[in-house]
Amino acid sequence: MSETDLTKDAIAILSGGDAAAESDIRPVLQVADIRLVETQNQTTTERYRILLSDGSFTQQGMLATQQNDLVRSEKLQKGSIVKLTQFVCNLIQNRMIVIIVNLDVLVEKCDPIGEPKPYPTKNDWSTSSTARQATPGQPVNQPASGGRIPSSFDDGSAPHVPPSSSHGSSFPSSKNSRSYNTANASPKYPKTEYGSGVLRAHVKNPPKLSYHQPPHQTVANRGPIAPRIIPIAALNPFQGGWTIKARVTSKGDLRRYTNTKGDGKVFSFDLLDFDGGEIKATCFNVAADKFHPQIELGRVYMISNGSVQRAKENFNHLPNEHEIFLNSFSTMQPCFEDDKFIPHQQFHFLPISDVEKLARDSNVDIIGVVSSISPSSSILRKNGTETQKRTLQLKDMSGRSVELTLWSNFCNAEGQTLEKMLDSGLFPVLAVKSGRVNDFNGKSVGTTFNSQFFIEPDFPEAQRLKTWFDGEGKCTPAIPISWGMSKTVSQIKDEKLGTLDKPDWITVSATLTYIKMDNFCYTACPIMIGDHRPCNKKVTDNGNGKWRCEKCDVILDKCDYRYILQMQIQDHTGTTWVTAFQESGEEIMGISAKDLCTLKHDEQDDVKFAERLRSVLFTKFLFKLKVKEEIFNDEACVKSTVVKAEKVNFQTQSRYLLDSMAKFKDEDLGTLPPPKSEILFQHLGRTLGNLQHQIAQAL
Amino acid sequence: MDTSNPALFVNAELLRMHVGRRVRAVIQVLRSDGGGSVVGNSTDGQQLVIKGHPPGPLSTFVEVIGIADSNQSIRADIWNNFGDVLDTASYNVVCQLANGDYKHLFI
Repeated sequence: MSETDLTKDAIAILSGGDAAAESDIRPVLQVADIRLVETQNQTTTERYRILLSDGSFTQQGMLATQQNDLVRSEKLQKGSIVKLTQFVCNLIQNRMIVIIVNLDVLVEKCDPIGEPKPYPTKNDWSTSSTARQATPGQPVNQPASGGRIPSSFDDGSAPHVPPSSSHGSSFPSSKNSRSYNTANASPKYPKTEYGSGVLRAHVKNPPKLSYHQPPHQTVANRGPIAPRIIPIAALNPFQGGWTIKARVTSKGDLRRYTNTKGDGKVFSFDLLDFDGGEIKATCFNVAADKFHPQIELGRVYMISNGSVQRAKENFNHLPNEHEIFLNSFSTMQPCFEDDKFIPHQQFHFLPISDVEKLARDSNVDIIGVVSSISPSSSILRKNGTETQKRTLQLKDMSGRSVELTLWSNFCNAEGQTLEKMLDSGLFPVLAVKSGRVNDFNGKSVGTTFNSQFFIEPDFPEAQRLKTWFDGEGKCTPAIPISWGMSKTVSQIKDEKLGTLDKPDWITVSATLTYIKMDNFCYTACPIMIGDHRPCNKKVTDNGNGKWRCEKCDVILDKCDYRYILQMQIQDHTGTTWVTAFQESGEEIMGISAKDLCTLKHDEQDDVKFAERLRSVLFTKFLFKLKVKEEIFNDEACVKSTVVKAEKVNFQTQSRYLLDSMAKFKDEDLGTLPPPKSEILFQHLGRTLGNLQHQIAQAL
Repeated sequence: MDTSNPALFVNAELLRMHVGRRVRAVIQVLRSDGGGSVVGNSTDGQQLVIKGHPPGPLSTFVEVIGIADSNQSIRADIWNNFGDVLDTASYNVVCQLANGDYKHLFI
């Protein structure tokens, strides 16, 4: 049986420290003896010491604790033929110890083969150590390097060979083993990143050892060690020597930058592993050049030897508080097997209605139906460069819609695809990964370098969306979340809205009950400042039919009329004052400020004026309000400005209210309907009543 | 406002529980027989017969208020035109809530 032929000269190779030969072999050896190590510390897991033989020589070894069961179950016993599949050889003092991480038991019971003798210890230690030193401190980054010892070794690890004499005569070398505790005179340990000093210390004081990693790393490049793979979720800055196996889910571009230190290159990519952990990896300069061409999107790689650090808030778009930085010592090895077990992409979709609650700059994955898209437009950025931008509306089953802003390349590539689809009457499903929440004018989502689009994806969520859309979704108008959270009038005061640094954007569904008509508009300067905005400052009557603008310092024949409406709005919880300016004023009044002014002053048509007013009062609107506390003469006052006003769509409102009621009902499991839903119900009743009233009016 | 004779919100299903009582329902007009009855769909999709004479031309959706005289018919004395567009689903839910959890708010 060739299988159980012991590998010739295996022990020599293992002991000889021939790096090149060792990395290839998976020696078949016989277990000459197994002994339980007596540890001083009774609480640690038992360790088995194994004497390995290749028929000619024997070599000491330690069995990794995860294989202990093999011994206990007697699968592995004295005489067993084994094949070492994962092992490290460590030189401690003069001794070579083989740490067996993984092995296959080929034959359980076997008579001893040959008459092996212990392999002579290397007394010309210095030569071999220099040899090792010469191997260019093989950076401990090869995936198969000996550096990776499973944590099961952390009870003191292999070289911590008990000095006790219980090992007696079966280990003829025990005489030497006792010398473990004496200080090792040999000076020439190969220097590695971790420093030989540590090793020395370790050897001097074996019982105190708690630091397991470094000593093993002194012997670099040992054996075909398959690295211990840890889940991405377990990565932390305090643990070195890790390896992860993950799929590249997104690959960034190689970007150049200039900072105080000069020019640089940077490149990032995202990784996803079997357990669903995600992390961002970044390389700079040399590493960027090295890895950028190597990495393929969608492939699985084993990565090790990077540094793990806390991720910076602003640049972190994945749900992981750490990120990886790869350097020139890091390694990436493509994996071909195991490919299908690691997912290709991972999403944490939020319903659009929940996006409203997210803070600015947070990352979000969303999926929805594209209901509309705007054409591309050029935007001048702060740094002077021009970029393309376009927006689209995404809506989903929560009854809300969100504005998604596409920047630069998204604008052109995906944006055009989507535009074409919409032009041909399709309403595609779009999934966005790592969009960024913005709260400039109410909440919206925008793309970043790290975002990814999936048009008409094949997910179950996409299927559900399509079904919903084809059914009722198409016709149900969705309330944009940019309108802010839906609040009642009393909540403005109760929740102290607007009192923090930033203004609060909210939506209030209320009835317009009063408008101050004394000064509903003012005379404004029409001169354009820049390209977009007119001056709008109040102009004063010069006395001779002309107007003067203080700001622009001109005298004008004609001026603009702009609304400044002080109004009271009321809902079932209370009443409050709001101010509406030009745009929203027009939306509300349904007539331009100029025309209304003409009506009142020039034509003195009181009847028509009153009619107009009456038609507007007591109409229910959906007001988008900006609420902010302002300080006026040492007094703080919360002011609400109407940014947008829309006539209430009763169907949408009713649905929304019914939904809210259902939600409250679910929360409250008691038998009595909670008060909140009662109020909502009354609200609903009123909404329906309004509808009736409106219809009656129309007829 | 005359509150002496409150009318319950009903659809076809709830109508049978209130036979003999004053009810109100919204129906989608299917056809009017000249002889004093109108057939329509209730908000839960079943056919109802409304007896009486509508005061004028009817729109697609009509609210009728009157006495329920059988499982499927109402003797209406008030007819309100609701126009041609109505969200019957919402109205239906209101009917159910008004007779269920929120009964105490109504009658």
